[in-house]
Amino acid sequence: MARIKKKGTSGAAKNYITRTRAVKKLQISLPDFRRLCIFKGIYPREPRKKKKVTKGSTAATTFYYTKDIQYLLHEPLLAKFREHKAVSKKIARALGRGEAGDAARLEKNLVPKIKLDHIIKERYPTFVDALRDLDDALSMLFLFANLPSSEHVPAKTISLCQKLCHEFEHYVIVSHSLRKSFLSIKGIYYQATIQGQDILWLVPYRFVQRTGGDIDFRIMGTFIEFYTTLLGFVNYRLYTTIGLVYPPKFNAKMDEQGAELSAFQVEGKSVGTDNASTGNEEAPAVANPEAQAIADKLAALPETEEEETALAPVQPVDEDEANEEIDKFEVTAPGADELPQPQASNAEVASLFAPFTFYLSRETPRAPLEFLLKAFGCKRIGWDGAFGEGAFTTNESDPSITHQIVDRPSLSNGAETSEDADTAPKVQWPRSTMPGRTYVQPQWVWDCINQSKLLRPDLYAPGAELPPHLSPWVKPKKGEYDPNLSLQEQEAEGEAAAFEEEEDEEEERADLKVNGDGNNVDALLDRESSVEAGEGMDVDGSEDDEDDSDESDEGPAADEFDGFDSDAESDISEGEAARLQHQRELEAEATGKTLEPEVETTKSKNAAIRKKAEKKRKQEEEERARQKMMLSNKKRKLLKRIEYGANKRDTEAETLRRKRRKLEKAKSAANAI
Amino acid sequence: MNPRKRKAITREAPPAESDSGEELADGLLDGILSHSEDSSDESQDEDYDSEDSSVIEGLSDEDDELDEDEDEDESGFESDGEEQRIREQLRKLKTSDSSSERRNTSLNLGDGEEKGLEDQDDSLKPNYTVTTDANGNPRYLYKEIDPIYDSDDSAADVTNTIGNIDLSYYDEYPHIGYDINGKKIMRPAKGEALDALLDSIDIPKGWTGLTDPATGKPLKLSDEELDVLKRLTRNEVLEDGYDPYPEMVHYFSGVKEIMPLSAAPEPKRRFVPSKHEAKRVMKIVKAIREGRIQPYKPPEEREEDDEQIHYDVWADEKPRPEKSMHIAAPKLPPPGYEASYHPPPEYLPDKEEEAAWLEQDEEDREREFLPRNHDALRKVPGYENFVKERFERSLDLYLAPRVRRNKLNIDPESLLPKLPSPEDLKPFPTTCAAIFRGQEGLVRSVAFDPLGIYVASGGDDGFVRIWELLTGRQVWNVKLSDEEAVDSVKWRPDKETSILSAAAGEDIYMIVPFTILSPDVEQASRDILDAGWGYAASQPSTTTNGETKEPLGKWSRPGSRLESKGVLVQVTVRSPVKTINWHRKGEYFATVSPRGQSTAVAIHTLSKHLTQLPFRRLKGIAQTAQFHPSKALFFVATRNSIRSYDLAKQELVKILQPGAKWISSIDVHPGGDNLLVGTYDKRLLWHDLDLSTKPYKTLRFHTAAIRAVRYHQGGLPLFADASDDGSMQIFHGKVVGDMMENATIVPLKVLKGHKVKSRLGVMDVDWHPREPWCVSAGADGTCRLWN
Repeated sequence: MARIKKKGTSGAAKNYITRTRAVKKLQISLPDFRRLCIFKGIYPREPRKKKKVTKGSTAATTFYYTKDIQYLLHEPLLAKFREHKAVSKKIARALGRGEAGDAARLEKNLVPKIKLDHIIKERYPTFVDALRDLDDALSMLFLFANLPSSEHVPAKTISLCQKLCHEFEHYVIVSHSLRKSFLSIKGIYYQATIQGQDILWLVPYRFVQRTGGDIDFRIMGTFIEFYTTLLGFVNYRLYTTIGLVYPPKFNAKMDEQGAELSAFQVEGKSVGTDNASTGNEEAPAVANPEAQAIADKLAALPETEEEETALAPVQPVDEDEANEEIDKFEVTAPGADELPQPQASNAEVASLFAPFTFYLSRETPRAPLEFLLKAFGCKRIGWDGAFGEGAFTTNESDPSITHQIVDRPSLSNGAETSEDADTAPKVQWPRSTMPGRTYVQPQWVWDCINQSKLLRPDLYAPGAELPPHLSPWVKPKKGEYDPNLSLQEQEAEGEAAAFEEEEDEEEERADLKVNGDGNNVDALLDRESSVEAGEGMDVDGSEDDEDDSDESDEGPAADEFDGFDSDAESDISEGEAARLQHQRELEAEATGKTLEPEVETTKSKNAAIRKKAEKKRKQEEEERARQKMMLSNKKRKLLKRIEYGANKRDTEAETLRRKRRKLEKAKSAANAI
Repeated sequence: MNPRKRKAITREAPPAESDSGEELADGLLDGILSHSEDSSDESQDEDYDSEDSSVIEGLSDEDDELDEDEDEDESGFESDGEEQRIREQLRKLKTSDSSSERRNTSLNLGDGEEKGLEDQDDSLKPNYTVTTDANGNPRYLYKEIDPIYDSDDSAADVTNTIGNIDLSYYDEYPHIGYDINGKKIMRPAKGEALDALLDSIDIPKGWTGLTDPATGKPLKLSDEELDVLKRLTRNEVLEDGYDPYPEMVHYFSGVKEIMPLSAAPEPKRRFVPSKHEAKRVMKIVKAIREGRIQPYKPPEEREEDDEQIHYDVWADEKPRPEKSMHIAAPKLPPPGYEASYHPPPEYLPDKEEEAAWLEQDEEDREREFLPRNHDALRKVPGYENFVKERFERSLDLYLAPRVRRNKLNIDPESLLPKLPSPEDLKPFPTTCAAIFRGQEGLVRSVAFDPLGIYVASGGDDGFVRIWELLTGRQVWNVKLSDEEAVDSVKWRPDKETSILSAAAGEDIYMIVPFTILSPDVEQASRDILDAGWGYAASQPSTTTNGETKEPLGKWSRPGSRLESKGVLVQVTVRSPVKTINWHRKGEYFATVSPRGQSTAVAIHTLSKHLTQLPFRRLKGIAQTAQFHPSKALFFVATRNSIRSYDLAKQELVKILQPGAKWISSIDVHPGGDNLLVGTYDKRLLWHDLDLSTKPYKTLRFHTAAIRAVRYHQGGLPLFADASDDGSMQIFHGKVVGDMMENATIVPLKVLKGHKVKSRLGVMDVDWHPREPWCVSAGADGTCRLWN
């Protein structure tokens, strides 16, 4: 007879191990175990049949795979930890005896240095694996690069993080792999595509971070230790694959003077790329020949550019057209499936800002703008001298500057004269503007990048009300609200009518609203549709730049609401009538009399539409309930779960649509008056 | 006890008695200096001096004197201590005798004595008072001790303020410096003249000036005695010539002893150089010459930020095997529109949403931030939770269990069964066509007559009423009982006759409502009912021992009042009857009275006026019973099971287990193969008798108990149930003749209309014999016709 199997000796009970048991098995302290887990990437598991593992106890416990822990037993780091423990005991003893010198010597000579190279290789067997996992690493390192040093965060760590981050940014700039960026309220998101992997990281705005509360910097420090090693190797690999020398030359003096990105000098590996070392971050190996040609051409004739400033932005358009662009496949008929389309190529990215010279005003965030502009091909970026070293120019009146990024409200009166510009050359804007220079707010850069084309700068003129900044990662699904589309395109049947009914306090202006919506949509589409660079400029280009922004502000607005003025009055009276009608209906309802049918107003039409929609919906609901009756319990629960998500999405979209309708209505009302 | 007193003894007595000359002299000199000018100091000194020793008294006196005539006294202070002291005392004697200043001094002295006495008084008085404390015990309250720091303080030493200047500069002056008040400090008397005088006086040997208290003679001390006293004062051992620190004797020393401890000869190694050491030294020398041993250099400061050595870790990369258990950490989702610094205005929360968000617990919040609009980039503030969110992410990375979860990617439409549209399954009742009002209390039972013209109903008011279907008019009624409710009404299933059976309490009545019948139908009905009279009497049931048994059901005429209304037969059983069900031929009917244990189920034969009990004992409490529509089968439902019996063979055929807790009603499909069960636990169960003893379908669409279930008997595939939630549900239930296909059940319609009264809704339901109409009995006192 076979032996009777004992309970708890095989299967799930054997495959999982609690944390306490794991720590005991490894014979290390809990903090050391934590470090080991962080380094090795070992995480708890949730047993599928918990009861079998816990042997019936219901206490909340953390489980690890027994195999994982078994595997940790052979970890070289474990020996290092033990060594460290022994040395720290010796040091503690020396300190206890008051032998500070001994303690210092022990600490210096005997404390084992922990190397994580083998773990990097083990956790990321291929380079692509490492790239895939770079999101968290970059976010964390960029955060630490922006932290002030404290007792938990030594200055050494911070400078290492800064160094690694700058090196990575240099790679992104040189390889033109940045794709998207987004200004959120948390910080700035960047997305780069390296070797087919999308890497998304978040960089905080440069403010002092709040580090209070229950934040354990030892845990973060362990992660940082791992991530710095990882990013070091990743950077090495990235640099060497495009033929650059890895640790790029670091100019400590420039760094001291706030050069940040420019303190590093990227060099090619081969001997023949001497010319590369002349420029600060000229990409020697991968420099895009077209972009280079454009840059050379522009550098050669800065004077001519000055003369034909109005034409300057137009030029790149021609160049772009000459480039081999990816054709966009647009869906012509609704209902067709959309295919994922190839993203902008490197060449396109490299040449977006290539022909321009930017100047960053003092109030703009320099570091992100410098990074973005450089990553999208801009070679010449000047900034205010207060920002530190590394600028192409610190002279704001430099004639070669084509774009100035400004984030200050414009002065209301246009009383500036040219003499002002002469007397105060230091900070020109907003007292005077250079002719032929485009003044834009920082958001323009981001929106251009996300749509990978140059947008109309007049919408982003200083002091103008900016168009909403939208996340480039949201792919609207069916049933979700999409701010890019008009309300008519996405609303459910009868929704608008229902809304109108509810909003019975005001006049009904369905037709007007439709008009307004249409116009709004047009404006929206205008902004977002492919306005070729400089097209906006062409319209107003002949006029003065000062007028430019004002004109553009008012221009579409005037167009939009031209039609309303005549209608407005009649509409109001009509609305009044509708309200009276409704009042009468209510009264009749209260008294129980039937109201004789009146002349059909838009109001009643609305009601009819809504009623019809409601009836239809009700019928559908009934049918659905009938079908649900026949489901088995299991399936019904499943359906409930699915429907929960869908319902949530629908209500969310509906509230958003509702809000938008309200806003649009208020806006059109304000405009009508 | 007096601290001053004790102090005086310890401090002042020794110099008086000691004979160490110079120290004493110094002390005296100091004393002189300190006491020179300040009279108050003097007096104080005298205070304590006077207390204990005359010698000191004398001294102080002498001080004063010296002050006054220092000029004359130039000599004697350098002389030997002992002699000097004696002389001083003599001088005192002398001065007290003569001299012009004597008066002053004596006056002083007198003052001093007086003060001393007072002090003594003070000192004799206890310096405490005795009181009683809270416990009644004596309590000593000590006065505050007055620590008097007197003369010999170091502060006295610096009376001369000339500082560190050689006194020789003052050789020509009568003074030697200045005190703190700027007054001259006069040069002390040298006493040369005095000394001359004193030297001339002969002092007997051993004179002390004290009197021996034992003899009264002057006390004389010998030299030895003085020596002992001197030793005592020095805390020395009294014995003469005692050495407290003798030289240490080293027993094992380098000194060569005359008699060595060991007689062994000196070993050779003591005087021959060691070859081994030479070898080792040479080794080291060689190593140094070869440069293997370097002179020690302190390790130079290594670069702290030891640059990591970078190389290509992925030089020989191999992809991870497919079957790896590793789950990569999920990436954070990219930000949505609402995270923008300048989002579209519809994403901004309004005031209520904002308040709700703020009120929520941090963990419950759907998103961790509140969308905000900033009209320019420069106005964007720092995000205060940045570090915290990063930290939480890192916690998630190493603490959160990762589970691979399949995303539900099911189209909800695919889950829903394809049901035939209700339009295709018409006809079925959808609306309320008529309401039969006029009854009081609950309507408990309702039934269509076999022709479908009339509806009979019975309720709590004890009436049986008959309604005309098409008009909704009440055409006939009779009050059967005053106390009991009519629990069940059923028509005899025969189209030629019209007999209504009704159960009220323990009585079952057979009614021929002749006022609404045509005469021949009435006659036929009466004939059937009357056929049995006398049958029971002619064949009395006897038991084996010949006794006449009490009949189970007593068949009788109900009395003239009821008979005039058409109630012709009354059957009385032993317990209240709840349900009546007729056999299809109208010959038998079964009644169930749940409370009569062994007599619960009874089968009555109409033609013989006979009542029989098919079961001697019944398992469980019977709820209802029904005949099979075509076979000789009989179904009895107890609370939680249904048994079917073969009446011909008289055996149990099947036990159905619907799994319900309490069955309320059953109905057998006209085809005979399916059974519908309604339960008080809200379930409607469809049993396929051929399939299994478990239900084929369980339908749970009611929120309250199901009271009644009915199949349509006239060939339409419909069935209905009535529930306490006030609604009836109509289903399409099609049974296919062959065994290959299961019955299809399609929900068709929920009929609502009856009001719920005291948690009772619809009590009964019945179908029209041909049309897709049904009638329901409600707890609100109405019946409704649905079509």
